[in-house]
Amino acid sequence: MLTSMVQALLVLALSPLFTGLIRRSKAYFQGRQGASVLQPYRDLAKLFRKDSVLSHDASWIMTITPYVCMTAVIAAALMVPFITDSSLGFVGDLIVVVYLFGTMRFFMALAGLDAGSSFGGMGSSREMTVSAIVEPTILLSIFTMALISGTTDLSGISRNLATSGLDLVRPALFLALAAFFISTLAENARVPVDNPSTHLELTMIHEAMVLEHSGKHLALMEWSSMTKLLLYAVIMANVFLPWGIATDLTAIGLATGIVAMSLKLLLFGLAIALVESSMAKLRLFRLPNLLTVSFSLSLLAVISYYIL
Amino acid sequence: MFVDQLFLALIVLPFAGAILAATLNGHAKTSVRIAFTVSSLSSLLGLAVAFLIFLDGEMRWELPFSSPFGPLSFYLDTLAAFFLGTISVVTFAVSVYSFGYANHYEGKYPVGLLGAMFNIFFSSMVMVVSSSNAILFLIMWETMSLSSFFLVIFEHRQEGTVGSGLFYLIMTHIGTAAIGMGLLLMYVNSGSFDLSSFPGAAQGMSDVLRSAVFLLWLVGFGAKAGIVPLHVWLPMAHPAAPSNVSALMSAVMVKTAIYMLIRCCFGLLGVQDTWWGITVLAIGCVSALLGVMYALIESDIKRMLAFSTVENVGIMLIALGVAMVFGSYGLKELAGLALIACLMHVLSHALFKSLLFMGAGSVLLATHTKDMERLGGLAKRMPYTGAMFLIGALSASAIPPLSGFISEWLIFQAMLQSFSIPDAMVKILITVALGTLAITGALAAAAFLKVFGITFLARPRSRDADEAREVPKSMLLGMGLMAALCVLAGVLSFAILPGLDQVSAPLAGASIADSLVNGIEIVPTVGEFSQASPPLIAVIILAVMGLVLTLSQAYGGRRKVVRADTWDCGTPLTARTEYSGRGFSNPINRMFSWVYRPIRTFRATRSPSPYIRTEMRYTSTTQPVFEKYLYGPTEAGVRWAAKKISVIQTGSIQTYLGYIFVVLVLLLVALRL
Amino acid sequence: MVNDLSLDTINALAALILLADFMLVASSRMRSLTRIFALQSLAMGGLAAVVAFETGVGHIYVVAVLSIALKAVVIPRFIDYTADKIQVNREVEPLVKIPGSLLICAAITMLAYFVTEPIMELGTAITSNCLAISFATVLIGMFMMVSRRKAITEVVGLLVVENGVFLAAVSTTYSMPMVVELGVFFDIFVGVIIMGVFAFRINRTFETVDSTVLRRLKD
Repeated sequence: MLTSMVQALLVLALSPLFTGLIRRSKAYFQGRQGASVLQPYRDLAKLFRKDSVLSHDASWIMTITPYVCMTAVIAAALMVPFITDSSLGFVGDLIVVVYLFGTMRFFMALAGLDAGSSFGGMGSSREMTVSAIVEPTILLSIFTMALISGTTDLSGISRNLATSGLDLVRPALFLALAAFFISTLAENARVPVDNPSTHLELTMIHEAMVLEHSGKHLALMEWSSMTKLLLYAVIMANVFLPWGIATDLTAIGLATGIVAMSLKLLLFGLAIALVESSMAKLRLFRLPNLLTVSFSLSLLAVISYYIL
Repeated sequence: MFVDQLFLALIVLPFAGAILAATLNGHAKTSVRIAFTVSSLSSLLGLAVAFLIFLDGEMRWELPFSSPFGPLSFYLDTLAAFFLGTISVVTFAVSVYSFGYANHYEGKYPVGLLGAMFNIFFSSMVMVVSSSNAILFLIMWETMSLSSFFLVIFEHRQEGTVGSGLFYLIMTHIGTAAIGMGLLLMYVNSGSFDLSSFPGAAQGMSDVLRSAVFLLWLVGFGAKAGIVPLHVWLPMAHPAAPSNVSALMSAVMVKTAIYMLIRCCFGLLGVQDTWWGITVLAIGCVSALLGVMYALIESDIKRMLAFSTVENVGIMLIALGVAMVFGSYGLKELAGLALIACLMHVLSHALFKSLLFMGAGSVLLATHTKDMERLGGLAKRMPYTGAMFLIGALSASAIPPLSGFISEWLIFQAMLQSFSIPDAMVKILITVALGTLAITGALAAAAFLKVFGITFLARPRSRDADEAREVPKSMLLGMGLMAALCVLAGVLSFAILPGLDQVSAPLAGASIADSLVNGIEIVPTVGEFSQASPPLIAVIILAVMGLVLTLSQAYGGRRKVVRADTWDCGTPLTARTEYSGRGFSNPINRMFSWVYRPIRTFRATRSPSPYIRTEMRYTSTTQPVFEKYLYGPTEAGVRWAAKKISVIQTGSIQTYLGYIFVVLVLLLVALRL
Repeated sequence: MVNDLSLDTINALAALILLADFMLVASSRMRSLTRIFALQSLAMGGLAAVVAFETGVGHIYVVAVLSIALKAVVIPRFIDYTADKIQVNREVEPLVKIPGSLLICAAITMLAYFVTEPIMELGTAITSNCLAISFATVLIGMFMMVSRRKAITEVVGLLVVENGVFLAAVSTTYSMPMVVELGVFFDIFVGVIIMGVFAFRINRTFETVDSTVLRRLKD
């Protein structure tokens, strides 16, 4: 219970840092100076101090959405292992976590439609299109890991994998990891699916949906999105490459866990930044190619688990 | 016995109510009140009977007179009781809703007959799930089909209604024919019409014969359940029927077919080949995927809900198929788990689909249209309807911890357990089905997002929508009941699942209640594979929600919320600048164009400059693939055959009598041989 | 007894070969096509080397080296060279769209598994579970030949088929006799060169390497 809460708070507190890290390294790869890694914190603090503007056309959906989104990610954060196992892992397994993200997406897209601007509608429509292929990919790739490790409990997966040395490593793991990485980019509005740093109509998916939010509401939406990104990275780290996770609550175990997690997150952050700097955003109707690649990778992962 | 008397009352009461309502047809208000009071009372009776049977185990009761087909007996075990309970709960809520809803037909259509048929419909469904004699069952099945047919064509002055009804009638009779043939084949082998004699007879039948019966029943009940490609009647009949009736049809009538499939595959035919399960699984996958895809591009709310029923029936069949596959390998616990998942989905679909159809009916009543492209902004004008519709949509999109999520979660778990199957190819097939189910889930979320978002959010797209007002209290009450049950059935699922285990245990051959529910956790597995605790999820969500709200109020500063216009890029926003439903689903329409086969035309008037157009027209329609490639040719074939056969139609009575004579002689000869 | 590590390596390489099949189908650029093919051949050679190490059958080493040298280096270079020479457009131009192709390939993989399952159960070779992948590779190669427009993609498809056959040989019977093996390599090499020449010809005659225009030869 307690470890879960501490870990969830930690995830919540560190998520702007992770986003800042990605932005900074992206700037580095592109030869720019870039803002400090702490900039997202300042942005959030500033937004929290501002008035919220709501549209005349919007209903109560618009008002509750930021809170629902924040709630969904925090609930997910409580069930995901971070430095060590989540002690609330028994409450919900990986399917619950994935569907909690689904809840967040559902409300975000509803709010996108709520203000009656065509930008919001466009964002919602595209978001749901992308998620139609991404969600099954995520489920299938984590299911592969569930099959490999013999449990669907996220903490269980990482524990079983980490304690068994390299015995459980199979080709299926890497196929699933690749599928999950592509899905992470797609789910968190990163290049090549979406561009997080523009409001251009061409790239409008996530940014278009939150266009009508402002002030505190926007801060909550942004923060929950950053937390979601960090959570995906954490799931990637702990489910696919859990070696180093603290399996007991001793000082040494925790220290190793913290170091290992920081290294892995740093690695993922750099990987995302590298992908974002080296690839162009894909045209919307080119996306199905990429997404079906990741979907067939995840399908292939399960099949190869059974065949090989 | 007490249960027997209750059951007798349950049979008699609706008929009495029906007769009374029909005779009082002239007094619209009174007949509505009587009809729906009776139906709600009898549904409460049904609930009581179902509850008592869950306590006692079973009930057998016979009509006190004999028939040429053996005793007309009723038999209720826990499976029948579960469906009886589901039918009753839904009927109760829909009856309450109908007090308000039926009133608007006053003066336009004979409301008394609506009430009468409604009662007969309910009663026939009750008897379908409880009859234990094949002939009695067929009669009740027919009564159910005919009463629902009359209900579908109730608004007969609306254009197209009668046509839809007739199509439904034809489809359902094709199904009945297949079912009848299956039953007769069984009768030939068992020598009795009593269903309880069938399992014994099935043991002695050859594999081919047994499979033939299975396929006949699959087609027959599948036509009623709406499996692809026999689903075409659903999107025609459901929108045409009055909304309270479509709620009943979609939420429970379709389930009687699922009931019979479960009964046939696990109870009557007994031994199962693996390929039976795979067939059901495959049909389920196709139905689920195509159902949801068509639901997504539909802009008529009730048609969309009908397609979503096709999808959900597909999901139930997926679970049933997995259960059959497990059963065929002798994995009894897992078969039980998959069956429980299937039943849970039956329940949750009954709850949310009736809620959604009632919501659609409220929208129809308030705005006189069910076309999403003419709606919008209703969340502000009809806040209660909107909130309850949202709960239904969330449940249908499997948002935790609502009932729809729990059933989907259980199905996923059952499918993940497929690694216990020895045959790797079957494992891979189930994995593919799992992927299909996941895609279905994601698309369903998109579809319900669209139906709620376009109908209830943003600005109204027509004057009717602008002037919409909240519906009468009785309707809200009916919907509220279902909305509450959607939430409760999810959060308290740990209490429901042992009951479902009572249903599945005799069928699957193993009870898993002890391992399935551990306190308030659900552990759907053998070995520590996975678990979840819906009530704790609910608690966590509520607690975190409270925390987020308080903290952001306290530390986010007490900032005002300013009301302003939506950002409009300098052009005043109207209803026409909003995103439309069609626009919303267009990317998916394009992505899956190989399924939808859309026909798009674009026409612009000629103008001096290519940059200045005075008028542009864009149309996009989806080809009705099944109508075009399956039903069209079939119909043409039937017409052709009819023309050929019509030579025997001479018009002279003597010839017809001659036919009868010849047939009689032939039959006599055949009997002698 | 078979070394666990070798077995893992073989499985990993087999998975890589299968992955390469899918990458080939998914790639929309000519250049990446040859690169992925080179990667696949490399994995193929590696697998053969591990099998050789494990079984001690000497001539498989030769086959492995040849496979790497020819199919991972020389032939891809040659194809790239040909493509440059005739200035072929870098788009692959599939007849079946990429998402559809990928799903078909997934189905093909399952089919391959379905077909080979009984054989694999009989198999005693350490690599017998690669058989499904080899069949899948053959079928996917054929699918590539059927569904891609350009003459050069057809060549790659054929080479993929050959890789599949080679994998089947290695995985069931620890490769064919040396002579056959060499013969096949020689055939492939000559075949590719001839096709390269043909691609030149097609290009010169029709001003395109789109093999669908060959239909005009019919009348």
